[in-house]
Amino acid sequence: MKSYKELPDDAGSNIIGQVTAQANRLSERLASVKYTVAIMSGKGGVGKSAITANIATALTLAGSAVGIVDADINGPTIAKMMGVRNATLEYAPTGVKPAITPLGTKIISMDLLLSEDDAPVLWNAHTQKDAFTWRSTMEVGALREFIGDTEWGELDYLLLDLPPGSDRLPNVVELIPNLGGVVVVTIPSEVSHLIVKKSITMARDVLKVPIIGIVENMSFYVCKHCGEHEPLFSAADTPDNTFQLTTLGKIPFDPKLSHCSDSGTSYLNEHPDTPASKAIIELAQKIQNFFNT
Amino acid sequence: MKFLCIDCDTAMKFKDVTRPEQGSVTAVFECPDCFTEIAMYLNPSETQMLKSMDLKLGGNSEAAQPMQMVRSQLETAKQDSMSNTISETGSEETVEGGKCPFTGVISDAFEEKSEPEPDSLTWTPEALERLERIPSFVRPMAKMGIESFAKENGHTEITGEIMDAARGNFPAQF
Repeated sequence: MKSYKELPDDAGSNIIGQVTAQANRLSERLASVKYTVAIMSGKGGVGKSAITANIATALTLAGSAVGIVDADINGPTIAKMMGVRNATLEYAPTGVKPAITPLGTKIISMDLLLSEDDAPVLWNAHTQKDAFTWRSTMEVGALREFIGDTEWGELDYLLLDLPPGSDRLPNVVELIPNLGGVVVVTIPSEVSHLIVKKSITMARDVLKVPIIGIVENMSFYVCKHCGEHEPLFSAADTPDNTFQLTTLGKIPFDPKLSHCSDSGTSYLNEHPDTPASKAIIELAQKIQNFFNT
Repeated sequence: MKFLCIDCDTAMKFKDVTRPEQGSVTAVFECPDCFTEIAMYLNPSETQMLKSMDLKLGGNSEAAQPMQMVRSQLETAKQDSMSNTISETGSEETVEGGKCPFTGVISDAFEEKSEPEPDSLTWTPEALERLERIPSFVRPMAKMGIESFAKENGHTEITGEIMDAARGNFPAQF
């Protein structure tokens, strides 16, 4: 009786061929992207999406062609922050045309596909029972299509806004083996540091992905009356010492940044002279330097 | 997955796949030498896993459409999220009701049967009762065979008599 290896194929389904074709679509699309950068933390609520949106805007204002993949399939916020939530996507046989901000940043997000504000991502299935067995696969498939089936055109930077969890970056690296680098976002709290350390270990030691550096968001609050820096959190140590990584920036808390995120307007355009805007622009320059030197 | 006809020592070939019924897909494989057929049943979880990987049993003869998995599988999608298409010739086509124009292509292997086809067969209560008595693991195959027999012989309603006539063609007793 013939063995498994002696049988010529899988009876005609060519599953390996189908998977290879998916991977080829992805790599062909990414051929026109110079640098892919994942913005991650591991910890939720540290401002990854706001940082991603503002890095994208800073890079766009500096003359780069930039796209964002909202990789937070179940909690997408990038479309709102970038003011394109009402965009209607167009598709052609060659790919889906992304939403484009007035400044020219290209966006793809699950939020652009959902029916209502309160609609969760719900996948078609005979039953939702035991959905844990396949939901993650569906989400990775969605991410693969977002990256590979969007008509990005020529991009200098494709930013991926990752959801919380140290398990998310491995999925991205599976899809983009030559990921250009990772920007890690934290806040100055011991709780955040505890989780972010796990993500850094995953990126640096397990996946061997280049870490561009760390951003400390909501580092301090600038008193609007006296200009003094007041701490918001209570981490005992600096991110430089805690993580042994290049600190790309310390972004002060600014309610105006939150307001711009809510209204989908550009904080850097509307408030270019604030300490937070200056820190974000410097952060974007350091990312450019990472790739250009 | 590979299938071997033990008698012929020959690799079996994919022949047909049904759309999911109650979440379960049935794939039929045939020996190219002796034409013996076997049916492989995927349970709902296995069927869903295949869907989630955007893979098709029997191979994918159609060119992949952009975001076909998301567009065909996202239940909470807004109807007009991608309402316009640009054809290969560059002309714009509006899709009525925002429905995905590739649905037909995408759903070939996976869309649940939601409505009977116009020329579908009806089953009498007696025939349905007998169908229910067939062991569940062979029931889809038997049903497919009976319906195929009925269509080939020009029947539009499946009765107990038609089941009797079809019975000789199948190993399962009903």
